Amino acid sequence: MSKSSLEIAVRRIRPDEEEPDRLPLRWSTVARLFAFTSPHRLQRNTLLGLCIFRAMALPGLAWLVGVIINGPVTTGDGAATLRALALFTAFFIVADVALYWRIRLAHQIGENVLRDLRDKLMAHLLTQPLSFFHARRHGSLISRMISDIEAMRNGIQNNFFISFVSFGQMACAAALMLLANPQLFLVLLAIVPCLLLVHGFFRGKILHASRVQQETFSRVTSALAETVQGIRVTQGFAREDTNAGIFTRLVRSLADNVVKTASLTSLYLPLLELNAQGFMAALIGVGGWAALSGTGTSLGDLVTFFFLADLFFSPITIIGTQLSEATLAMAGAERYFRLLDTPPAWTDKPTAGECPALKGHVEFRNIHFAYIPDRPVLHGISFVAQPGQVVALVGHTGSGKSTIIGLLAKFQLPLAGQVLVDGHDLADIRQETLRRQMGFVFQQNFLFAGTIAENVKSPRPDATDEEIRQAFRDLDCLDLIEDLPAGIHTPCSEKGRGLSMGQQQLVAFARALLANPRILVLDEATSAVDTLTEARLQVALARLMKGRTCFVVAHRLSTIRRADCVIVLDEGRIVERGTHEELLALQGAYAGLHRDFLSSTT
Amino acid sequence: MPAASDPPTADSREATLWRLLRIAWSYRSDCLQLLGLQLVVVFLTVAVIALAGVGIDFVRHCTDRAIPAPPLPFFVPADATDKAVFVWLGAGILVAALLRAIISYVFGLVSVRFLHGRIVVNLRSQVFAKLQQLSFRFFDSNASGSIINRVTSDAHAIRLFIEGVVLQLAIITITLVACSVYMLRTDWRLTLACLSVLPFQIWFAIRFSRKVRPAYEENRELMDRMVLGFSENVQGIQVVKGFALEPRVMGRFAGWSEDIRLQKRKVFGEIALFWPVIDGLNRLSMAILIGYGGWMVARGEIALGTGLVAFAGLLQQFSAQVTTLASVVDNAQVSLAGAKRIFEILDTDPGVATEPGAASPGRFLGRVTFENVSFEYQENATVLHALSFVAEPGQRIAIAGATGAGKSALLSLIPRFYDPRSGRVTLDGHDIRALPLPELRRQVGMVFQENFLFSNTIAANIAFGHPDATQERIERAARIAGAHAFIMALPEGYETFLGEGGVNLSGGQRQRIAIARALLLEPTVLLLDDPTSAIDPETEKEIMEAMEAAMVGRTTFIVAHRLSTLRRADQILVLEHGKLVQVGTHAQLMAQDGHYRRAILVQSEGVVA
Repeated sequence: MSKSSLEIAVRRIRPDEEEPDRLPLRWSTVARLFAFTSPHRLQRNTLLGLCIFRAMALPGLAWLVGVIINGPVTTGDGAATLRALALFTAFFIVADVALYWRIRLAHQIGENVLRDLRDKLMAHLLTQPLSFFHARRHGSLISRMISDIEAMRNGIQNNFFISFVSFGQMACAAALMLLANPQLFLVLLAIVPCLLLVHGFFRGKILHASRVQQETFSRVTSALAETVQGIRVTQGFAREDTNAGIFTRLVRSLADNVVKTASLTSLYLPLLELNAQGFMAALIGVGGWAALSGTGTSLGDLVTFFFLADLFFSPITIIGTQLSEATLAMAGAERYFRLLDTPPAWTDKPTAGECPALKGHVEFRNIHFAYIPDRPVLHGISFVAQPGQVVALVGHTGSGKSTIIGLLAKFQLPLAGQVLVDGHDLADIRQETLRRQMGFVFQQNFLFAGTIAENVKSPRPDATDEEIRQAFRDLDCLDLIEDLPAGIHTPCSEKGRGLSMGQQQLVAFARALLANPRILVLDEATSAVDTLTEARLQVALARLMKGRTCFVVAHRLSTIRRADCVIVLDEGRIVERGTHEELLALQGAYAGLHRDFLSSTT
Repeated sequence: MPAASDPPTADSREATLWRLLRIAWSYRSDCLQLLGLQLVVVFLTVAVIALAGVGIDFVRHCTDRAIPAPPLPFFVPADATDKAVFVWLGAGILVAALLRAIISYVFGLVSVRFLHGRIVVNLRSQVFAKLQQLSFRFFDSNASGSIINRVTSDAHAIRLFIEGVVLQLAIITITLVACSVYMLRTDWRLTLACLSVLPFQIWFAIRFSRKVRPAYEENRELMDRMVLGFSENVQGIQVVKGFALEPRVMGRFAGWSEDIRLQKRKVFGEIALFWPVIDGLNRLSMAILIGYGGWMVARGEIALGTGLVAFAGLLQQFSAQVTTLASVVDNAQVSLAGAKRIFEILDTDPGVATEPGAASPGRFLGRVTFENVSFEYQENATVLHALSFVAEPGQRIAIAGATGAGKSALLSLIPRFYDPRSGRVTLDGHDIRALPLPELRRQVGMVFQENFLFSNTIAANIAFGHPDATQERIERAARIAGAHAFIMALPEGYETFLGEGGVNLSGGQRQRIAIARALLLEPTVLLLDDPTSAIDPETEKEIMEAMEAAMVGRTTFIVAHRLSTLRRADQILVLEHGKLVQVGTHAQLMAQDGHYRRAILVQSEGVVA
């Protein structure tokens, strides 16, 4: 088994990466991306004008060199040479000023569009319901926001405008050559099919090779990421040598792929240059012959072609690079737009209004719900909670406790039935106005990077330090927070590392308290922090719950005992309801759960 | 180890540079081979231009016999007719161009094999091997993203230095010399006049990259801030939505996003200036060539083709190389910074390593002692204070205490994830530092709070510590851990792929696989670091059975909160702020008025009542 499973580790491709990272140009996508430049219309149009000017100016300058050499230089007219050079100098200065603005405007537009793309995506994401985020890997959203938008930058800022200039430059150079000498131009035309042939032969191969290379690279990265994340396991099981062997093989196969790609490009580029030099050979051979044969080809034509040829051939490699980069931008754009085009699964009704000031009366009326069609999670749930009551939801994993909470907070919409607060149907209330009067403490309390104070006041940014301290004082745990190195200004750091589980809980309690909600939703943490901290948390929690309608997904007997009403759920139905004592007396489902609780905690 | 964010001092930069140069020197024969090839390429490029110049001069000679014929190259037969001369010249150019293409191809192949096939592979493997040996202190103090970057991006630093600095500088020099030699042979005054702009270009290219790079660094910091903010908001979306923070989140995000744009705007002027200036200077030298050179052509001092036109062609080659100077400066900075980070890893003392002379005593019984052990993660923040205790073979030791009391720290000393500051840990009487590290760790089985499973098959995950284990052995371990039944219920059984793209197991199932993984090695000592804490109470019951089975016949250390576990322990170590405050069985400790009894009473009041 060992050999084959190692092979799997080496060969395995992460499924997320199977999406192509390059796509052929699709004009609808290009047009859509291009439309993002419309708000910056003036800049964009100026830029296009500059591009056209550059495309003509470059061959113009080369042509002018030819004219000067063929004219005043050959005839030995010093004054005329100087005049012509003055013109040449003025011309190239103008062309370089144009280049300055061409680059500058392209960057500005790129950066403006990128900001718009980012903001638009963020705004779009924030309209999505919670289920959207649960269905996606966090990393994939980050890729959209960072890598894909970055890939599009090149498309907007470089690929389009540079290709535009390059094509124009080739066309203008060709036109000038045609004008100068149609016979020699025919020689040029003979080279073009060779160019296309070389290009056509290599393009697909190089694209494919670089894609394989990219895939190998992402395998190296993911192997590496796993090693770093699992370093404790690796060292704990003394597996370093085996891993090093696998990794070296991965790195080698990556190098092999890099070599494969490079051997294609190092054949491709010299072949393209060979075309340019082949043209030079033909120019001298055919041109010289023709000049002697008196067919109208002059020495001056040879000189002109010598200078213009470079302007015709050098854009080819540039365009090649731009096009292959554009396929990257295209893939990024497609993924980005696909995400942007995902409509929210549902939105508030347009007629939905503000949530009035609540007393805290909650009613569920015959609620049905399913995450996936035909797989109902709740069947006809009905109950009433009076203002100030504590409702405990009890049941096995998957019985529907969290779903009820989600419906109450309008994170989801019921399939049928109504949720009412103070008699108002949630369907007619805008989500955010409802939630401003609710408070939440989740099982895993996400704290943002920043200090404790910043986290606590996130629902009310204008809260003063004194109000924050008061919140902890009200929870009877200010001493625990002030014991920390910087008190309420102690940083929580990423993912709350630095604070213990219990301290994180306290911060979450204070955050909920500061929101001063009428309805409090609580998903109790499953695992006990150490027992002494636990006791303090219980006190704080009791303070927080006081005077509010509370819904608790309960894991602790102490909470359940305190509840005014315990709702026992099983497979999406309410099987029992009542107080702790009443339910114990029933000797039914609740009594069974209670026995399990006791046996696991004692 | 210095923190990654330390600004590089001039001293360390110089040391890094010397070290890079020494490495480059060790590859001198490969470099010379590449430079030899490049020399031929440059020579052939000059030859093509020169031959075209000869062609132009010869046309001029044929149309105006007053102008002397240019000296013809060796391969043109002396008796060739005028027309035949052109055919010969054309053929000469074609052959030179073909040769050039072939040698460029060879150059490309040889260089990529050398740079990517050898240098990068060697360095990555070296860094990876070193990484794995580093003690946990290193991983504690570095974010995993930055560690990954070191192996993926920074490992290119040495390649970049050799390719983008050493070789590129040599190539620029070769091109300059080859072109200059041709030009000087024609006319030294014209050569100097044409090259007069070169120093300005070099100065400007260096200035450019010096100015722009810091701005890019600043931009990266702004990007990082935005990424961090974005990723936080996605992870904490439930909080964002729960507290209706969307407008505020959007406002902050838009602020970060705008900052990036504004910061970039400041450097656009610099970026946009680079190409026009370099290009303008190139054209200026062209103007000088035509003015001064044209005057010389008129006076018959130089030829039109081999003089003026060839000079123009060479100047184009020249300027193409000069513009790469900006990237050379850039590469030098990037590779120095990358190399510094790479060297840092390679030079880091692994911290924990097998000591010389360590010998394996053979079979272990599992007697573990701590003798006056003190430990700290960071200096002056002692986590464990002078701990002493004895665990007899097969005993079950529970460790209790508040968060931060040092429970996990205690466990991590046994497999030597860290070494104590003072005192010693022994296994069967041997100081564990005197045992070969892999041997020691194979004797110690570990199950953590959250167990990392690798993206691989279930079988491979269980056999992680012993990749050659037979299927039979894997199944035996899985059976003891209570995992066999659910594994067999999966469509592909033991060959089921886990992780991204594979099957996602429940928390309890993952823990059972982790237990099987620990059992496969038949460890004499088993460490269970609160393995049920991330699991809900229902699942916990299943795990407890698996753990009970696992503990049989092994010295077991278990971090526990549950009364049921504590009751069954042979010894309970109660830790408070890193000190061992109480030792004894549950019954003994309940009889004392101490921390333990208080905690248990609180627990039963709060939870069970």
